[in-house]
Amino acid sequence: MGATRRVFLAGLAALAARPAAGAVGFRLGLTPVFLDNDAGIIESLRAALSDSMGAPVVFEQRRSYQEVTGLLLEGSVDAAWLCGFPFLLHESALTLLAAPVWRGAPLYRSYLIAAVDDPAQALSDLAGGAHAFSDPDSNSGWLVTASDLARRGLRPESFFARTIFTWGHRNVVRAVASGLTRSGSVDGYVWEALTEAEPGLTARTRVVAQSELLGFPPFAARADRAQAAEIAAFRHALLGLADTPDGRAALALLKLDGMAPANRPLYDGIAERMRDVEAFR
Amino acid sequence: MIAPGLRRLPLVARAPLLSAAATALVGLVASTLVLSAQAQLQEDRLRELVRLHVEGLSVALAPAVLRRDVWEAFDTLERATAAGGGRLALTVAADAAGRVLAASDPRRAPVDAPLDTVATGAQPIDRLAIPSSITRLRVLAPLVHQGRQVGSILTELDVGDLVAERRRAALWLMAGNGLATLALSLASWLLMRRALRPLAMLATRMHAGETPAPIPDRDIPRGDTEVARLFCTYNAMAGAVEARIDAERRLAERERFVSLGRLASSLAHEINNPLGGLLNAADTLRRFADRPDVVRSSTALIERGLRRLREVAQATLDHHRLDDAEAAMTPDDLDDLRLLISPEVARLGQRLEWAVEADPPSLARWPAARLRQIALNLLLNASAAAGRGGRVALDLAAAGGGLRLAVRDDGPGLDAAALARLTGAGPTAPGGGLGLRVVRDLVRALGGRIEHARTGSETAIAVILPGAAP
Repeated sequence: MGATRRVFLAGLAALAARPAAGAVGFRLGLTPVFLDNDAGIIESLRAALSDSMGAPVVFEQRRSYQEVTGLLLEGSVDAAWLCGFPFLLHESALTLLAAPVWRGAPLYRSYLIAAVDDPAQALSDLAGGAHAFSDPDSNSGWLVTASDLARRGLRPESFFARTIFTWGHRNVVRAVASGLTRSGSVDGYVWEALTEAEPGLTARTRVVAQSELLGFPPFAARADRAQAAEIAAFRHALLGLADTPDGRAALALLKLDGMAPANRPLYDGIAERMRDVEAFR
Repeated sequence: MIAPGLRRLPLVARAPLLSAAATALVGLVASTLVLSAQAQLQEDRLRELVRLHVEGLSVALAPAVLRRDVWEAFDTLERATAAGGGRLALTVAADAAGRVLAASDPRRAPVDAPLDTVATGAQPIDRLAIPSSITRLRVLAPLVHQGRQVGSILTELDVGDLVAERRRAALWLMAGNGLATLALSLASWLLMRRALRPLAMLATRMHAGETPAPIPDRDIPRGDTEVARLFCTYNAMAGAVEARIDAERRLAERERFVSLGRLASSLAHEINNPLGGLLNAADTLRRFADRPDVVRSSTALIERGLRRLREVAQATLDHHRLDDAEAAMTPDDLDDLRLLISPEVARLGQRLEWAVEADPPSLARWPAARLRQIALNLLLNASAAAGRGGRVALDLAAAGGGLRLAVRDDGPGLDAAALARLTGAGPTAPGGGLGLRVVRDLVRALGGRIEHARTGSETAIAVILPGAAP
């Protein structure tokens, strides 16, 4: 019975994975971690990618990285825009397709933010307050702060009076701006993009500390399908996004320069932080 | 019903005032009703809004509250508040233990704070009322999930616009009422003034002069028969008054002759007395024309008699001639008076007491004709009352710039009819003499007054003329 079921599930997964670009189109997993407040941005990216691929691209948005990673691993989506952290967590099963280029390089930072009138100068000043994380599988929205604390022998749950997950970088900014939490861990790229898109929101927050440059959240696919034609086509579409007017318009909305090939060493910094957290656990 | 002060106002002012008061009262009652209906409507609207808000929130919030998911609760509250269109100033979700789980503005209601600290003055949702003094209203509602209360929802509503709306409505109503009251008062005043114009004309005409003035023909409306009838009746009455006054004036004229007439017999006697002596003297002259001493004494006798006759004639003439000329009173007039009354007093064997203590300047301020008439009438009346062998007295004294003329007698006193003629204002009863009524009218015309006193067996009638002569 169990064996039958496993076979059945595998078959389902294979069925789901196989004709990806067929009836439904190419499915890309996303989380609301990025700029999730403007449907126009998402639609513009989807349209540009569809044009480049010559086939419809369907976005599958989920609340958390865990869900999106799950979709990718089980084959419910063909590729996903992941964070470097969950990519590394499932490194063996996944392959890198491309990484967005932001301000000239496929790199970004994590910001530690507090209310604009908060006197804190460093992470240590924020002890005892409430803290907003973005996602437990987010590098900039959890791992950076958690590893900073782990390196000092501290855990977020005890260092902060209360930690909450807001399931989105913009939500972290909202939590801090509204005073729901004293501080938050946020994607530096999102925070900077928000200063242009919603200056009123970020103006109520202040960057207390910045991490070193780390690998930008990449597009990834399952390793076993790395050679599939539609995956290659998608990778080609991504890397050529800056070459089409629609692609450039979508990138401009995303405040990105373009897409670059991504390699494993780009994420060494994140891997190091993962090791530090793991070691303390 | 009508205040005494209001009753003193002319009708043309009273009617608009009353109509203004009535309009204002009706306006006030109507405004109160409108405002109370508006408040009721607002409260119903607000209660419905809060109910929908709370119900919607309950569905969205309950799982987060049960899981104690701060972010989820906050996200729901913030988005719900933003969607509230500015009406919702603050929404707070609290757990069953009464601790804040999340608020749309966490700075005002921090996570884990006791709900009581932010719920002060909160009203229960089913008994919602909007006091006019506040702009923020707090409402506390239970957070019910599957029939069980899992927490509370506190909503702070911005009702500033509703309160302002009410205030605006009150102001508009007040202004409207004021205008309506003003307009109705004005209309009522115009209407009343128009309606009362004939009355106003009557009032003016009635007090136009000493006597009511008739309304000219051109002012008598042609169409309005009632007013026209009223005016014609008034004109007839004004004419009658004029005629009566004219008659009284003529009667007063005649009275002067009447009093002289009453004096005529005694004056004839007065003239007759020296005539005998004169005739004797003339006879003596004829018989003793050669005796110078007799001629001298007889001539002197004749001269004295003639002089006396001339005085009597002069006094009688003066009394008559002084009619209209407003000659001033002099001591000579008093001598004339005494001369005129003396024969009558003597005829009746009466005693005349004559006391004059007024200097010429204080006498000169009064017209001789009228004062003489007053004194003569009173003296004749006193003499008639005193009867044979009685006593008649005249006291004239200057007092405080005025004059006091008193005539006394020891007769039986004035009867009621005579007293009424002397002091009353009513029409003269027929049959009585006019002397006393003439005295009354003359004294009134001079601005003086009459005092009557009966002490013991003496009757005293005093005429007091005021200090400031008319």
